[in-house]
Amino acid sequence: MTVTDISRRKKFFAQGNAYVPHIVVIEKIIEETPDTRTFHFSFKDEKLRKDFIFESGQFAEYSVFGVGEAPFTISSSPTRRSHLECTIKRVGRVTNALHRLGVGAEIGFRGPYGNGFPLDYLQGKNLVFIAGGIGMAPLRSLIWSVIDNRDSYQKIDIIYGARSPADLCFRYDLDLWGRDKTINLVTTVDKGDEGWSGREGFVPQVVEQVAPSASDAVAIVGGPPVMIRLTFPVLKNLGFAPEQMLTTLEKRIKCGIGKCGRCNIGNIYVCRDGPVFSYAQIKQFISSEY
Amino acid sequence: MADKKINKRDIAKLPNEWCREFSVLVPSRESGTVAMTRWDGKDIGFLDWYRNTVVPPRDSFLPLIEEMFSFYKDKDGYNIELPPPKEQKQLIFGIRPCDARALAILDMTFNDGYQDPYYLGRRQNTVLVGIGCTKAYDSCFCTSLGNSPTDTTGVDLMLTDIGEDFLVEAITDAGKELLTTSSLSKATEADQARAKVSEETARQKVTRNIDIRDIAQKLRASFEDQDFWQKVAAKCISCGICTLLCPTCYCFDINDEMSKAQGVRCRSLDSCSFPIYTRMPMENPRTEKWRRVRNKVCHKYEFYPMLFDAIACTGCGRCIRLCPVNWDIIQIIESVPTGA
Ligand code: SF4
Ligand code: FES
Repeated sequence: MTVTDISRRKKFFAQGNAYVPHIVVIEKIIEETPDTRTFHFSFKDEKLRKDFIFESGQFAEYSVFGVGEAPFTISSSPTRRSHLECTIKRVGRVTNALHRLGVGAEIGFRGPYGNGFPLDYLQGKNLVFIAGGIGMAPLRSLIWSVIDNRDSYQKIDIIYGARSPADLCFRYDLDLWGRDKTINLVTTVDKGDEGWSGREGFVPQVVEQVAPSASDAVAIVGGPPVMIRLTFPVLKNLGFAPEQMLTTLEKRIKCGIGKCGRCNIGNIYVCRDGPVFSYAQIKQFISSEY
Repeated sequence: MADKKINKRDIAKLPNEWCREFSVLVPSRESGTVAMTRWDGKDIGFLDWYRNTVVPPRDSFLPLIEEMFSFYKDKDGYNIELPPPKEQKQLIFGIRPCDARALAILDMTFNDGYQDPYYLGRRQNTVLVGIGCTKAYDSCFCTSLGNSPTDTTGVDLMLTDIGEDFLVEAITDAGKELLTTSSLSKATEADQARAKVSEETARQKVTRNIDIRDIAQKLRASFEDQDFWQKVAAKCISCGICTLLCPTCYCFDINDEMSKAQGVRCRSLDSCSFPIYTRMPMENPRTEKWRRVRNKVCHKYEFYPMLFDAIACTGCGRCIRLCPVNWDIIQIIESVPTGA
């Protein structure tokens, strides 16, 4: 391939018709923030429950029958297989319909799609997780899988920010990570309140202050596009090479399997070639429309 | 060569024979536009007026809208039902070389990685009988793209006009199997020679040319030339016609339709000319028209060649003929700055 190394692209071999979703059942709903919920769910089919495998960073298409489909990353870890989780912010038609559902409701699920994080590349390294808002969802999957294989990795820094304390997702995880002596967790909000004991300031600024070392490290960045774009230069100043910065890109995704066309950035299809890219790859993109 | 020929007067005998096994589609004006439509079994009148369809034959494989599956809920939850597979085989009679080649180009996408069952199911179920062009439009430019009015890429059986007769040439095994009818006679060397002449004459009638040398590199170099793209996009009204009627465009959307307790998940053609095509809840990478036009042109002449080593344009000229504001891909390709 000429432009970017997409040799890691997984050939997607579905059995039968990949557009037909599996039925999953919602088992639990966690109110993360006023507009974001985490859904715990499991396949209705016993066999799939056992056989389904995925990697952190991969996503799936979820559907509310009669309303439509939308893509979300799987926010639980492949190392914790009792059920699956996805974290969904209420922003459009499908997400609103999802938020109206209760425990026991059935939704459609097809996937997993995309490339996922390159675990083999991350192993043995210092990891710096940098996330904003719901951008923590794909990173959280990876963080738990790193924690569950703690010996395979070195230092872990987590820098996580949101607009306000109420906008931080996964507070139950933050509690656990904060107490874990092997993890350096830094939380920040644009503006704190009385009870707030973390930092104040935007994520890129806080990254600058925390100044994680680039030596033998990989930074994994997740969040809104502006945050990602502003964080790369900060990391660069800290000595991170383009190959040492990973992110997941978001595009409008429909088919998820490189057919429907809309998720392209130049010749790259985010659904199939991504959503995980290194900054080295992104710099090679023909288009800056990411 | 064991080519055959058939007298033009007898031409209806071909579909007559084929329709025992196939559902035969022919160009028709019935719907108010020109499209491939189920043959009514009468005569083959289209030879008098047919140049090319307005709706590309792609529609028979990737329709404007199709049902992917239906779903309903009962006491045990949701159930999904696939539409019944089409038993009867299809035959498209009269497809033009540019459109047959377009299908070969679409196959690359639908075969890549995951094999799309809807599109490929129809492809495998369909035989293509091409008829070479003798009356190119002013807007045709197939010869610039390695194609020609008598090119056989993608067709199973090819008919070439040689005056009184059509030369009938089997290109694939599926094409050979169509050669059973008794109305065919053996083509002579003189017929072959006539076909050569007719090919040449047809070629001459394609008058527009497009210089595609280094086009991918040029587009690459001009990608950030916003002035150029803004100029190129100025008169486009984002109606989507050029993409919806392009034989190599395939972008689609997936949506649910509900009627009472039964729902249908549909796939429908979409267009990169529309701003909502890329719209996400919080942002949109291509709200500006020039970005969408740039994506359309580059996808065909730069990205597709990078992915599959093929330009996703066959020179059929529809986007020129049918555009309400006379946007002209040839002028645009010709005016791409060299990037120097
Ligand atoms: S047909 Fe013409 S006006 Fe319509 S989208 Fe295409 S270029 Fe623009
Ligand atoms: S979402 Fe359809 S091609 Fe990527």
